[in-house]
Amino acid sequence: MPVKRKPDSAKPSARGAAADNFIPFEQIQALIDLLEERGLEEFELEREGIRIRIKRRGVAAPPPVFESYAPAAGNSPAVEASMGAETAAEAEAREDLHVVKSPIVGTFYSAARPDAPPFVKLGDTVDVGQVLCIIEAMKLMNEIEADVAGEVVRIYVENAQPVEYGESLFALRPLKRK
Amino acid sequence: MFKKILIANRGEIALRIICACKELDIRTVAVYSEADRYALHVRFADEAICIGPPRASDSYLNIPHIISAAEVTGAEAIHPGYGFLAENPNFAEVCETSGVTFIGPRPELINLMGQKDQARREMARAGLPIVPGSDGVVRSEEEARRIAAGIGYPVIIKAAAGGGGRGMRVAWKESELANFVATAQHEARQAFGTPDVYLEKYIAHPRHIEFQVLGDMYGNVAHLGERECSIQRRHQKLIEESPSPAVSEETRRALGDQVVQAMRALGYNNAGTIEFLMDEDGNFYFIEMNTRIQVEHAVTEMVTGLDLVKKQILLAAGERLENLIRPDLRLRGHALECRIVAEDPETFQPSAGRITVFHAPGGTGVRVDTAAYTDCVIPPFYDSLLAKLITFGQSRDEAIARMSRALDMFVVEGIYTTIPLHQRIMQHPDFQAGRLDTHFLERLNHQQVAVSVTG
Repeated sequence: MPVKRKPDSAKPSARGAAADNFIPFEQIQALIDLLEERGLEEFELEREGIRIRIKRRGVAAPPPVFESYAPAAGNSPAVEASMGAETAAEAEAREDLHVVKSPIVGTFYSAARPDAPPFVKLGDTVDVGQVLCIIEAMKLMNEIEADVAGEVVRIYVENAQPVEYGESLFALRPLKRK
Repeated sequence: MFKKILIANRGEIALRIICACKELDIRTVAVYSEADRYALHVRFADEAICIGPPRASDSYLNIPHIISAAEVTGAEAIHPGYGFLAENPNFAEVCETSGVTFIGPRPELINLMGQKDQARREMARAGLPIVPGSDGVVRSEEEARRIAAGIGYPVIIKAAAGGGGRGMRVAWKESELANFVATAQHEARQAFGTPDVYLEKYIAHPRHIEFQVLGDMYGNVAHLGERECSIQRRHQKLIEESPSPAVSEETRRALGDQVVQAMRALGYNNAGTIEFLMDEDGNFYFIEMNTRIQVEHAVTEMVTGLDLVKKQILLAAGERLENLIRPDLRLRGHALECRIVAEDPETFQPSAGRITVFHAPGGTGVRVDTAAYTDCVIPPFYDSLLAKLITFGQSRDEAIARMSRALDMFVVEGIYTTIPLHQRIMQHPDFQAGRLDTHFLERLNHQQVAVSVTG
């Protein structure tokens, strides 16, 4: 007879490294405070066997059970692809950066035409609503705009490269609010 | 032949399609939502593209994102699996206009069969039997009496705008009819704003029997025998088998020929399933057609020895039917499938969460189609099918015995599954004797309640 068991509620992981890397509640609390203080939308950190993600209200966050799963599919292309996003999230946390992610699947273009100068380059300061790039999907050119004002400090993708949903495109250092 | 196929689905069927592609030496592109980052279809595909957040409407149903994923990866065809976009004629059409082959029938066939009334009329015209009825709204008591006398009692009175059991009454004899027509009209007006009702012959104990067909692009159609799917819970199939214990070789040939003729008349291409109800007297009535690969296709694969998903791909690439199946195809042995669902077996509440231990059974005549593994998370966003356990035997008895032992050797911990329910069904004398109808499960549950009250 198969044994059936209801999962224990709210345990991060049943086994392995997670227990050793357990993050004290106070530290999580401190992270949440930091998010509030700096006006960040989202924070994500991954170490062996543990992944922590804090997100402010807006988009409905998936239930907590998803926040702690170990990357079982070690060598999958998707996991490799997502590594970029993780690094971006870490950079965002460390340097207080705002990462602009792709809202659609398509092809990234840094300029309006092949012979035109790029919309933005490293070191540029952009305003809210300024076009950062174009993503072509199904023959339609979708302009991706900056949602915060700031300095372009990273460009994660190259011209004409395919991007997936949620892929990091730019990191902006938000302008200091007076 | 295609060099690269995008799979617009997830779970076990996405894996199933990847298997077929690997064997045909076709590269695969998986698409996935943020909830499926660690899913097996993402791992086993050659490429994977995240297409959106967990909610299906934002990811697996997001046509622009999926088409765009096909474009950026250079996929030449899309296999939709079942569910999600598999029977969406608009999606099939967008694929065509985007220059990507949709692996399935032409959009107009999907559209026709998606409109159940129209499909029934079309199939009746093509020579398939349908449930006899009033063929339109019944205006008066007098008219109802006349029609009911013509088709024979019992009859069911249904709201034309209906659904969900409201505005439905079964009249077993003429004396009940007048009252029931009035009640059904009243309920229909209350529930749907119109008192229109129609009459149909009521089949008290139907068996659900369906025929698998394959068609090519050149008007050739063949059937691959039937499946019986009478073990259902609220129209969701739980157990399927092939052949049906209620269908003789003679009936299979006769009804199969009718099905093939009807499909030829339509010019049906790719895989499809024609569903019938069978009454206590052995009469068949067409109810609907599914224009996709079905969950239960595996039982047909076991008794025909054919790989249906590969056939779908080859047919979509323009292969001729005569090169894919032999004309003297016969069903061999017996196959059963239990749908193992992530649900509480008593209350049927969905049971999402992390699987802490997962052991699938194996051995002679056992096949498991699943995308689950130890430590995987069953997300709450999608359907709850966890695994399909399929057994094959030389006889139905052997297939049942094999299923019983395979269920005993199937270990899933951390979430609830329907494994215990399947174990009970396998032990049931009516199931073992092949005495099935679509109310089997209701009776089983009643019996259990009775036992727990008295015991």
